[in-house]
Amino acid sequence: MTPALDVTDLHASVGDIEILKGLSLQVPFGEIHAIMGPNGSGKSTLCHVLAGKEAYTVSGSARLDGQDLLGEPTDVRARMGLMQGFQYPVEIRGVKLVDFLKEAADEAGIDPDEAARRIAESGDQFDMTRFLTRSVNQDLSGGEKKRSEIFQMAVLRPKVVILDEIDSGLDIDAVREVAEAVEAMRSPEVGIVLITHYSRILRYLSADRIHVMMDGRIIESGGPELAAQLEAGGYEAFRAQLT
Amino acid sequence: MLDRSIAEHRLTREPPVLAERRRQGLAMYEDAVMPTAADEHWKYVDLDFTMETQSLPAQMGVKMAPPTGVSRVSASVVDGFVAIEQELPDGVEIVRFDEIAERDPEFFSSVVAGRSDDIFLAGNAAFAGDGLFVHVPRNTAVAGPIVIDIQSVSAGTISFPHIAISLGENSEASVVLIFRSSEEELVVAPVVESTLGNAARLSMTSVQTWGRKTKGIGYQRVRLGRDSAMKMGEVGLGGALGRLDLSVDLDGDGSSYILNGLSFGDGEQVLDYRMVLNHRGRNTSSNVLLKGAVEDEAESIFTGLLRIEENATNTSAFESNRNLVLSAGAKAQSVPNLEILCDDVVCGHGSTVGPLEEEHLYYLASRGIGRERAERVLVKGFFDEVIDKLPSQAVAAPVRDEVERKFVAAQVAGRLG
Repeated sequence: MTPALDVTDLHASVGDIEILKGLSLQVPFGEIHAIMGPNGSGKSTLCHVLAGKEAYTVSGSARLDGQDLLGEPTDVRARMGLMQGFQYPVEIRGVKLVDFLKEAADEAGIDPDEAARRIAESGDQFDMTRFLTRSVNQDLSGGEKKRSEIFQMAVLRPKVVILDEIDSGLDIDAVREVAEAVEAMRSPEVGIVLITHYSRILRYLSADRIHVMMDGRIIESGGPELAAQLEAGGYEAFRAQLT
Repeated sequence: MLDRSIAEHRLTREPPVLAERRRQGLAMYEDAVMPTAADEHWKYVDLDFTMETQSLPAQMGVKMAPPTGVSRVSASVVDGFVAIEQELPDGVEIVRFDEIAERDPEFFSSVVAGRSDDIFLAGNAAFAGDGLFVHVPRNTAVAGPIVIDIQSVSAGTISFPHIAISLGENSEASVVLIFRSSEEELVVAPVVESTLGNAARLSMTSVQTWGRKTKGIGYQRVRLGRDSAMKMGEVGLGGALGRLDLSVDLDGDGSSYILNGLSFGDGEQVLDYRMVLNHRGRNTSSNVLLKGAVEDEAESIFTGLLRIEENATNTSAFESNRNLVLSAGAKAQSVPNLEILCDDVVCGHGSTVGPLEEEHLYYLASRGIGRERAERVLVKGFFDEVIDKLPSQAVAAPVRDEVERKFVAAQVAGRLG
């Protein structure tokens, strides 16, 4: 079966500096994968390069449900089914969340009645209904912003979700809440990639695979036990064990 | 050439207080000179006409079709001449200046203070056709909005509409001012004066959609009594020149003034806002938010002075001017200012000038929204913040449509960026 996301030998550089150095990753539909790595390992770059942010020179391949992503602009990738959840979602004053979602749904070819139904349903599920008529992300707490990202995806239903440090800056209750929201999004139609520095969010959801990222590559992949190893010894000790 | 004899003829038939006002206006007008861009108050503005090239309208020109989006018009001012409808909202009295000046000269003078400190204000005092006087007696709440349709239609003229609004103690009213004009070349210099008695509440929404050959030089003066409150909505979309000189005196203790405004300039339009808010009473508050967009070769100007006088303790005053500059040839000037003579105040001012934010566009792209639609969504959102706060929501839909029409025209013509 075609994986949701299939990345092979991905390289990315800014100017002369290579940040991703041959990264490969497969995420099947229905699974949640966590990519863990220290600061500077290239986690955010991976997210940007997959989403199509400009400013990188990229080679290798990245396929979403078999379709080539690289070379397409960000909005086209999103319509193909790739959506990223931001570490720091931007506040957009004046644009109401409900209008924003209706525009995105319309652009994605979702029938307006169906979009309204999903907005109502997922609004309830993620407790976002009261934010619908407020400006996008404005005056939301850190946890609410992250929940809003997941709510948006629940409405737009991408095939691949990449969550960049979705647990950063949250207190433990908010981390649990966000983890539950991610778990609630799990379905056979979507592959979820969770990028994180810390393992604490993994206590509240069941990741199918853990990938350890250092120096622009995945250096080890395994089950949830990997997270425990990292937690115990830290990234450098983990690297030392490998060599 | 403005014919002095017209003014001299008019004043022979007017009540003394009005005739005296006209006489003084004439004297001031004789001494006044046309402002130039060298005057600080007129910086960036090229008036591009002289009084010699304009004539006074002899009578009311041909009225335009009724305005859309608003309920029944209560009064029209066409080329400076007044027409009052038979049916008015309950609670309001609307008369011509000469009627009220005859009946109650003291009251008239207390409301129509008049200013003659430049050539257009002097010209208005000297040459105005009739004035429109709107009065809400004390303890009265007017049922429904008072819609005043101010039209300028006759080619080659300069006209001087004058509207005075007086709210008695503890009264309440909602006023909609519609400023529009024909596609002829003309000049209009309207004056609107609002005087709020103690604890009076006035909502005013002004929508300016002048024709593209109109040079509009508008004045608004507001005086606020104790515990009175005014909410103002200002929309500036039309005119070759659309200028508003606004002065608000928060004289009464506890008075408050809120302004939410927007402008959108395209082509070679110049949209010019000059504001002075004088906080004089104690415990007064003001909040001004003006948002503007310019594209093509349009230019917008904002100068806003918050002046807090010595005894104005416990003042709260904020002003914010946000500008979207959408084309390389467009310009926005923004000069907010504070002059604080009292320690016990909370004041703030801010201004921004720039294009749409790439970070916002990227966020929309990450949800699958393409560039063109993302731009439209962001511009709509930029203005919605203000449109949602216009006191009269009856005008919101046509204003929203016109803003979108202007933006899409720029987008289709490839003038953005």
